[in-house]
Amino acid sequence: MADLPLSGIRVLDFTWAWAGPFCTMQLAHLGAEVIRIETTARPACPTRLLPPFADDVSGPNRAGYFNQYNQGKKSILMNLARPEAVELVGDMVKQCDIVADNFAAGVMDKLGLGYDRLRKFKPNLIMISMSGYGQTGPFRGFIGYGPPASAASGMFFGTGYEGGEPGEIGISYPDPNAGVFGAFALLAALAHRALTGEGQYIDQSQLETALVMVPEGLLEYEINRREPARIGNHDRLMAPNECYRAAGDDDWVSIAVGSEEEWKSLCRVMEKPALAQDPRFATAALRKQNEAALDQIVSEWTRARDRWQITRALQAAGVAAFPAMSNKDLAEDPHLEQRGYLVRLPHPEVGERIHAGIPWKMSGTPCSVRSSAPVRGADTEEVMKSLLGYTRDKVEQLRKAGVLV
Amino acid sequence: MEANPRSPFSAIKIVECGEGISAAFGAKLIADLGAEVVKVEPPGGDLTRRRGPFPNDRPDPGKSGLFVYLNTNKRGVVADLTRPEGQKLLASLLERADVLIHNVAPSERAAHGLDSAALCAKYPRLIVTSVSMFGDTGPYANYRGYELTVSNASGWATLSPGASPYPDLPPLKCFGSQCDLQGGAHAAIATLAAYFHRLKSGRGQAIDISEQEVVAAMLEMNLMHYTYAGRVTSRLGNRALGPWFIADCLDGKIFVLAVEEDQWKRLVEFMGNPEWANDELFTDRLARGRNLDALKALMTEWLSGWKVQDLYREAQQRRIPFAPVNTMRQLYETEHLRERNFFVQIDQPGMGTLKLPGMPSRYGNTQWALRRPAPQLGEHGEEIFCGELGVGKEQFTALRQSGIV
Repeated sequence: MADLPLSGIRVLDFTWAWAGPFCTMQLAHLGAEVIRIETTARPACPTRLLPPFADDVSGPNRAGYFNQYNQGKKSILMNLARPEAVELVGDMVKQCDIVADNFAAGVMDKLGLGYDRLRKFKPNLIMISMSGYGQTGPFRGFIGYGPPASAASGMFFGTGYEGGEPGEIGISYPDPNAGVFGAFALLAALAHRALTGEGQYIDQSQLETALVMVPEGLLEYEINRREPARIGNHDRLMAPNECYRAAGDDDWVSIAVGSEEEWKSLCRVMEKPALAQDPRFATAALRKQNEAALDQIVSEWTRARDRWQITRALQAAGVAAFPAMSNKDLAEDPHLEQRGYLVRLPHPEVGERIHAGIPWKMSGTPCSVRSSAPVRGADTEEVMKSLLGYTRDKVEQLRKAGVLV
Repeated sequence: MEANPRSPFSAIKIVECGEGISAAFGAKLIADLGAEVVKVEPPGGDLTRRRGPFPNDRPDPGKSGLFVYLNTNKRGVVADLTRPEGQKLLASLLERADVLIHNVAPSERAAHGLDSAALCAKYPRLIVTSVSMFGDTGPYANYRGYELTVSNASGWATLSPGASPYPDLPPLKCFGSQCDLQGGAHAAIATLAAYFHRLKSGRGQAIDISEQEVVAAMLEMNLMHYTYAGRVTSRLGNRALGPWFIADCLDGKIFVLAVEEDQWKRLVEFMGNPEWANDELFTDRLARGRNLDALKALMTEWLSGWKVQDLYREAQQRRIPFAPVNTMRQLYETEHLRERNFFVQIDQPGMGTLKLPGMPSRYGNTQWALRRPAPQLGEHGEEIFCGELGVGKEQFTALRQSGIV
C-alpha cells in the first residue's frame, strides 16, 4: 500500500449533492478509503442527474458534476429503508474511522444512523454532519443550498459592480467551502484521536463556514457600524485593480498594481512614460482617487491587444496580470498540465475526461487521484467481501432480499 | 487565557512568515485549536496592518480589523529575513518547530532563507508549507499575483456574477479575499494531514499549494462543461434552473430559489396557486430557468408584499430554501447565530472588545477558543528570542538598533 497521509483510514460516506462529497474527496485525495453509501430509498445523488453529461447523453454515471467530486471513492448501493440495511451499516461502522453526512439536521437520526447509535459500534468513531444551519438553534430545521447560503452570509450583499445592486457570485461557493472546512475538521479530529484516543462528533453549519470567509465586511460593521461598499473588481487601496477588455470577442485581462515599482513597470510596458510623471497618479492614494481616469487609460491600451501578450509582457516586468480564464483555457493550460494538476483516468462509461486534480503537492507523501469516480454501486460486492468477509453467495442473498442492490 | 493544557494541539509549534492573508489564515485555523504559533513579521509590519478596517478610518498598524481577525492566538516577533542575522533568528525558531507555514513567493524564497528543499534537508521533522499564487513549479511559478489575479486565473471571475445580461461589464470578483483565504484553508488541510502522517512516520515534508489550483477545483461543473460536452462557460447566458433570483421585498432583498420539483409545488401552493404557474413556460425546473425573466415578472408583486424575515421563515417552514440577502448588521443580529454563540469576543488592546466570526465547525471534544489578542508589531520579540531561545539582551538590543528585529 502506498504511504499516504491517510493510508489505512476508512470513511463511510453518506454525503450527497456537493458540499459533502467535496469534503470526502479531500480525504480520498489524501489516501483514505472513502466508501459512498448510495441508497435506493432516496433519489440518486443530485449531481448524478444534472448536466453536463458526457457527449450530452444523460445517465447517472455520465454526469461531469458527480464524476468530478467523487474521484478516488468507492460506491455501494443499498436500500436504507430496510432495517437489515441499517444493521449492515452498523457492521460496516465497526471497520471505519469516520462517518460523514450532509443531510438536513435530524435526517441521519431518522434513518437510525445518528451518532449516538453509531458510536455503539465504534466507541472512538469520528462523525461529521454538514448541514445548512447546524444541529442546534432556531433555524436548525431550515434547508440550505450553496446559493442561498451566499445570500445569507453577506457575500451577495458585498459583491457587485460599483454603485450597483447586490450581485451573485457565479458558483454555489458555500458548498465547496463547507467541504473544505469539513475536511479540515476531520483531519483535526483524526489528529485529536491519534493524540488522545478519543473520537468525537462534529456539527458544522454551512452558514457559519461561509461567515468565517467575510471578515472584511463583518469587521467593517463591527468597528465602524458601516456596511461594506460594493466596488466591483476594485480594491479598497490599490489601483489599477480591474479586469479590462482585451482584443477578441469576449476576452478580458486582469491587472493589479500594488507598489510604486509595479506602477512604473506598468507605465513602461504600456510605453507611456508621461503617465509615470502624471501628478494625478503620483502616489497609491492618488491613483485610487483618480481610478476612473486610470481605468480609462489602461483599458484603451488593453482593448487593442491580445490578453496573453498583455499578460506575458506585464509579468515579464513584474506586474500582476492574468487573463480571465474560461473552462477551455483551463483544460488546455500548459502550466496546469506541466504541474500534473489535470487528471485523466479511465472511466467505464465516459472514457478518459479531464478533471481538476489535487491542489497541493506533498514531497514526502505524493498524493494522486487513484481512480475515477465510481459507477453507481460498482463496489458493493468488493466492499462486502473486504470489510465484512461476505461471500458472493451471501451478497447475492442480500440482493435477492432487496437489502443490497 | 494562555495555552490550553487540555488541548492536544498545544504540542504543535508553528512558525508563520510571509505577509497578508493566506499563510496567516492557515496558521490561524490550527492556532484556534490550541497550537502555539509564532508569527514573524518583516520590520515594516504585515501588509494587513495597513488594510484595516480601522476605527474611524484612521490607519494605525495596531488597529487593523483584518489583521486582528487573522492573528488572534498568535505571538508576534519581527525579523528581517532578507538579512543573515534575521535568518539566524528564524533558524533558532525552526529548531524547535513542527510546522513552518508561509506565503513568500517562489522567486523570493532563496533571499529569505526559505527554500523548501534546503529546509527539509536541514530539519527532517519539519513540515514546510508554502502557499503561492501559481505553485512552486511550472511556467507561471514566478508570475506575480493578487486576489484579483487569482480570481481570474482560476476561472472563477469568468463565471461571475452568472446569467448576466450585460456583456459590456467585466468578469466579477467575489467579495473579500476568497482566493487567499482558500489558499490558507487548503494549506491548513495539507499541513494537518502531513502532521498526522508524521505522528506515525516521524518524518516532515514540503507542501506546495497553488491558489490557482485550489480555486479552480471549487468551480462546480465549470471544467466538465468543456471536457464532457464541449461548451465554453461564461458569466453571460441563462440560469440552468429556476426560480433562482434576488428579489425586492418591503424592507430588503431575498434570494428566491426552488431546486427540486417538490419545492416548486410547495412554492406554487404558498403563492396561492396562481393560474400562470400552470403555463408550459414553467413546466419543469429547466424550463423555469430558460424563462426566468417571465417568471420573475410574475412573482414580483407577490414577493414585494412581504417583509424579508417573514417570507424567509414562512418559506422555510414549507421546506422552500429561500434566504435573506443579509447585511453585516443583520448577521450580527441574527437570532440563530446568537443562540449558537457564533460570534466570539476578544479584548484587543487599543480597540476594546471586538466581536469576531467564531468557529467554522463545532467539535464535540477538540477545544476551539480565542485565547489571546492579535500581537502588536514585535510584541513578543524579547520574550521569545531572549526568554526562550537564549539570545542575550545586549545582542537583542543590537539587532533592534540595526533594524533586524
